[in-house]
Amino acid sequence: MKATARWLAEHWIAVVSPIALLALWEWASATGLLRAAFFPRPSTIAAHLRDLTLDGTLWSHTAITLARIGASFALAAGLGVAIGLAMGLWRGLRDGLDPVFAVVYPIPSVLFLPLVSFVVPAGETALVVTSAVTSFFLIALTTTQGVRQIDRLVVEAALHYGARGRRLFTAVLLPGALPSIFTGLRLGLGFSLIVVVAVEIVSASRGLGALLWLSWQVLKVEDMYATFVVIALLGALLSYGLAAVRTRLLPWVPDVGER
Amino acid sequence: MAVLVPAAALILWELCSRLAIVSPRYFPAPTTIGWVLADRLAAGDLGSELAVTLTRLAFAFALAAVPAIPLGLLMGIARPVRDLVEPYLAFIFPVPKITLLPFLLIILGVGEPAFVLTGSSSAFFQIVISTLGGVQTMDPRLLDVGRNYGARGLRLFWKVILPAALPAIFTGLRLGLGLALVTLVAVEFIAAKSGLGHLVFRHWQMLSTPEMYAAFALIGALGLVLTRGLRAVQARVLAWQDEIGM
Amino acid sequence: MPTHDPKVLVDDVSVTFESRGRSVVALDRISLQARAGEFLCIVGPSGSGKSTLLRVLAGLHRQSAGAVRITAERPGTPLTAMVFQEHALLPWRTVRDNVAFGLENRGIGRAERDARAREMLALVGLARFAQHYPHQLSGGMKQRVGIARALANDPEVLLMDEPLAALDAQTRTIMQEELLRIWATLGKTVVYVTHSLEEALLLGDRVVLLTARPGRVSEVYPVDLGRPRGLAVRGSPAYGALLETIWARLREEVVRAMADDRGSGPETIGA
Repeated sequence: MKATARWLAEHWIAVVSPIALLALWEWASATGLLRAAFFPRPSTIAAHLRDLTLDGTLWSHTAITLARIGASFALAAGLGVAIGLAMGLWRGLRDGLDPVFAVVYPIPSVLFLPLVSFVVPAGETALVVTSAVTSFFLIALTTTQGVRQIDRLVVEAALHYGARGRRLFTAVLLPGALPSIFTGLRLGLGFSLIVVVAVEIVSASRGLGALLWLSWQVLKVEDMYATFVVIALLGALLSYGLAAVRTRLLPWVPDVGER
Repeated sequence: MAVLVPAAALILWELCSRLAIVSPRYFPAPTTIGWVLADRLAAGDLGSELAVTLTRLAFAFALAAVPAIPLGLLMGIARPVRDLVEPYLAFIFPVPKITLLPFLLIILGVGEPAFVLTGSSSAFFQIVISTLGGVQTMDPRLLDVGRNYGARGLRLFWKVILPAALPAIFTGLRLGLGLALVTLVAVEFIAAKSGLGHLVFRHWQMLSTPEMYAAFALIGALGLVLTRGLRAVQARVLAWQDEIGM
Repeated sequence: MPTHDPKVLVDDVSVTFESRGRSVVALDRISLQARAGEFLCIVGPSGSGKSTLLRVLAGLHRQSAGAVRITAERPGTPLTAMVFQEHALLPWRTVRDNVAFGLENRGIGRAERDARAREMLALVGLARFAQHYPHQLSGGMKQRVGIARALANDPEVLLMDEPLAALDAQTRTIMQEELLRIWATLGKTVVYVTHSLEEALLLGDRVVLLTARPGRVSEVYPVDLGRPRGLAVRGSPAYGALLETIWARLREEVVRAMADDRGSGPETIGA
C-alpha cells in the first residue's frame, strides 16, 4: 500500500495524463473541435466496445486471431528452437544458413503469402505458415546466439566434471541458451501478433485484422477504434505478460531488456 | 560453407525447376528470375518502383528520427516528460503499426501521407525507446565525472549524456530503418498502387511469377544493404566503441 | 613538511540514505581534517561509507548534517578532482581529451589545455598514447589517464576512490610506487580511500579507520615510517607492528560487518 502511494506521489503525471487526454478528446469531439466522424468520442467507442463484446462479435474474431497466433507461434517456436540449436552447435550449418537468413530475414512476412500459397493450400494453412516466417527466423537467430554466447569456461568445467553428449546438452548447453531462447520466443510471439494481423488484413475475412480492415472499408469508424483497442490489449498482454512469466521461469537471469 | 550451401540450394532449385520436378510456373528457375531482374532493371520500370519505395522510406525515416531522438533524450533527462509520454509508448509499442494504416487513411485520405506516416510510426517508437534506454543505462559514474570536472547543465548534456547515449541512438536508428522498410513494403502490398511491395502483389495476382520473385529479391537486397550499411556507418562514426551489439 | 592549518575540514558530517522506505545511516557524525600537502588514507570494511565520504568531499553528494570545508588558496582552481574506481574515462574521448576535460569545462583555450595535458601524460608515462581511445588501453594505463585527468585539473585537493582496486597485483604495486613519485613531485593534498591496509601504510601520512555501518571514525593512526617511502618499507619492523595494531582493530569491524550482512543490520531504522 505504502509503496503504491509513494509510486503515485512520484509518478502522478503518468496516471493523470491519459485521463486528461481522454477527457480532452471527449470534449473536443463533442463540441466539434475534432471531427467526430474521424475521432469519435471515447464514450462512444466504449459503448461500441461493449456492444460488440456483448453480441459476441469481438469474442469470435479474437478467438480466431488467437488460434492463428497460437498455431503460427507453435510452428515458429518448434522449428526455430530446433534449427537454432543445431546452428549453434554445428559451425558448418551456421556458416551455410547465415547468408540465407541475412537476405530473407529483412523481407516483411506479408510478402511471403504468395510464395507460401504456392506450396501449401491457400486459406488458413497459408495464413498460419506465412505468419510463422519472421518469428521463425527471429527465434532461430536468438537461439543460435544463445548457444554461442555460453561461457566457454562453463563448458570446459562441465567437460572436466564428466558431462558428455546428451548430459552436456541437457545440463549445460540448453539451460545456458535458455535466456536467449526465451528472449527470442518473447519477441517471436510479438511478431506473430503483428504478422497475423497484417496477413488478416490482406487475405482473411475473419479475425481482428480482417475486422479492422472491413470496418474501414465500410467506414464504421467506431468499430475500427473498438477493434484497435482489443488488438492493443492483446499486444500488451503478449509482450508484458510474457516478460512476467520470464522472471518466474528463469529466476537466475537478471532482468535485462532485449536490446 | 557460406558460399557452398546457398549455391547448392540455388542449383538444386534450378534443376528441379528445369526438370519440372516442381512446377516452373510457381517456382521459375533462378536463372530465369535473374534474367527478368536484369531485363526489368535495364528497362527502368523496376528501378522506378525501387525509387518510389526508397523515397517513401526516406520521408518515413526522417519524419520518425527527427522528433524521436529529442523526445527520447528529453524523456531520459526529465522525469515529468517520461511520465507524461510513457503510458502512450507502452500502449502503442506492442501494437502492429500496420493497424494504424486504416486510421491514417480515413484521417488523411488514401495517399502518400498515410502510407509514409504508417511506415514512420514503426520507426518512431523504436527510436524513442532505444534513445531513452541509452540515457537510462548510461554509466552513472560518467555523470559523476562530468559534475566533478565542472560540466553542469547544458554542458553536462552535450559533453557527457549525449555522447554516452549515442551508441543506443544509432542502434535505434538502425532498427527503426529496418522496421520502417518492413512496414512500408507491407503497406504497399496492402494499399498502395506503386512501389516494390505493390509489385509483388500485382505480379502475384497476375501470376507472373518471375517478376514477382525479382521484386522479392530486390526487397531482400535492399533490407540487407540498408542494415549492413548503417552498421558500417556506426562502426566508423563511433570508432571509440568497443564493439557493436546486434 | 606539511603546515598545520587544516586544508580539509570535515565537521560532524552525517549522511542518511533513503531506500525502499527505509533510512540507512551511511556516515554517522564524522569529523576529521587533512593538513595541506598531507596524504590522508581512509580505510574501513565494505559498507563503512568510505566512498560516500569522498563523494561528499567532491560535492557529488550532499551531507544530511554537518559541514565540509576545503581551504582554497588559489582562486580559479577547482576545489577537488576525483580519481574514480575503475577509471571512469569518457570512452568517446581520446586520452588527451579525457585529460583536458576539466580544463575544457573551465573555458581554458585549446593550446593551453593541450600543453597541460601533454605535461601530465608525460608525468604518468603515457605521452605516446595521447591519441588513443580508452578501449585501446590496458587497465593500468586507463587508471594512469584517470590520475593525469585529475592532476591536469590542478585541484586544491586530490580525491582518490580505490583507484588501484581493479588492477592485478603486479600492476597495482607498480602504480603505488608511481603514486608516491607523483605525490612527491607535486606535493598535493590527497584524500585516498582504499580497502587495503598495506596500501594505506605504504602511501599515507595518517590512516583513518572507519567502523562498519554506520561509518564512524574509529581511530586515526599516524604513519611514522619516514619519507621518501618505497616498497622496502614493508620489510621494516615498525611497518609490521603498525599493520598488526590497525589490523586487529579493522578485523573486529570486518567481522561485525559480516554479521550485520547476515542478520538485518542495526543500521536500518524503520522510516
